[in-house]
Amino acid sequence: MKTLLAVAVLGGGVVHATLGPALRIADVAPDIPLIVVVLLALRRGPEFGCAAGFVAGLLQDAAGGGLMGVQALTKAVIGFGIGAAGGRLRVRQPLVQVPGLVLLTILEGLARFALLQLFRFPAPFGELMTYVVLPQALYNGFLGAALVLALAWSESARSA
Amino acid sequence: MRIRALVLLGTIAGLCLLLLTLQMRSRASLASDALAIVTTPVQTGLARVNRVAFGAWATYLDWKNVRAENGRLRAEAQRLRVEALQVGEMADENRRLRRLLVLKESLPLETMSGEIIAREWGGWVRSLTVNRGRTDRVMRLTAVIAPEGLVGRVVDVRPSASVVQVLTDPASTVGAHVVRTRTSGIVEGDPRGTLRLKYMARDGAGIQVGDLVVSSGQGGLFPRGIPVGRVRAIDDRGSALFHYAQLVPVVDFARIDEVLLITGDATRDVAAHFPGDGS
Repeated sequence: MKTLLAVAVLGGGVVHATLGPALRIADVAPDIPLIVVVLLALRRGPEFGCAAGFVAGLLQDAAGGGLMGVQALTKAVIGFGIGAAGGRLRVRQPLVQVPGLVLLTILEGLARFALLQLFRFPAPFGELMTYVVLPQALYNGFLGAALVLALAWSESARSA
Repeated sequence: MRIRALVLLGTIAGLCLLLLTLQMRSRASLASDALAIVTTPVQTGLARVNRVAFGAWATYLDWKNVRAENGRLRAEAQRLRVEALQVGEMADENRRLRRLLVLKESLPLETMSGEIIAREWGGWVRSLTVNRGRTDRVMRLTAVIAPEGLVGRVVDVRPSASVVQVLTDPASTVGAHVVRTRTSGIVEGDPRGTLRLKYMARDGAGIQVGDLVVSSGQGGLFPRGIPVGRVRAIDDRGSALFHYAQLVPVVDFARIDEVLLITGDATRDVAAHFPGDGS
């Protein structure tokens, strides 16, 4: 499990670092580690999702140079929450995937903003939501849905 | 299981909050340093992977671009080569046609241009086929000329083409004289593809290698003064009544593409309209 966790989270980090700039559209980049955490949590449960979210978020915090622990905490909570609710979510439906990921990204943004406010770190809410969180949420929604569909297709091809 | 997960979440949340608190209480460097011990090697590794991946991708893109560029340049070079050949061919044709047009316009004769569409070069017969025939009112024995000189005569007229017996045909004979000495004779074709000037009177001939031989106009078939050939060698037969000269035709029959057919009166002297030898 530890190896899988490391591979998955570091793989997400590699993809984020490598493909993130290439996937940038109108200066909006997707949060690939968040998508990876959500996918892992859905398949492996709350513990795995929580740990994966923590490691992935911590790496993002370290790479970003801001307050360390913010993304680690928000992604860990999201990983835990999605892992716990995974069984009840119909994640193979694109109508669930896109809005689900959009909602999760917005929730993560709100949580990050709340944490920053709690620790008196200056962050303009309106601009952050308008120019960063919402565009990224939409991007994550479509990219995540494409990833889920690709995974489902590869699984069905393997089982056939 | 659920409790373990909750404990893990609590631990992580506590750890994160502790980290944040430490950072806010001016102990940022301590917390960052502690984390950096773990994250820096990971980040270094990620950056290395990133660089390698991007390097490989950039190399692949470069290779692909170079390959595409190479293919494009090859096609371009091929196209340009073909175009250059076509341009050269057209320029050459243009030059030939200009010369023919200049001759046609300067000659005091009624002429019609024609294009060579076939050649018979077997040795028994040496002839050219011109794309002018009965429909163009071409007559048998029509004289055929080129900007360089005499080509031959029409020996067969077909509906839309004519067969021209060239001077080197073994059956061809043309009355001619040497320009410099006015020595008369008959130019005959030779099976080897050359010309012979025959029946020249020995006395007072005095011809030399390089002398220009032109049509004499006798018989009214060919206009007077059209270049036929240049003396290449003189065959002196001692005490014989006549002597002979070998000629090089002034027209390269193997390369000629366009000709003029003299359709009107052919009795005029046209020597001034052809390149002479200054004599």
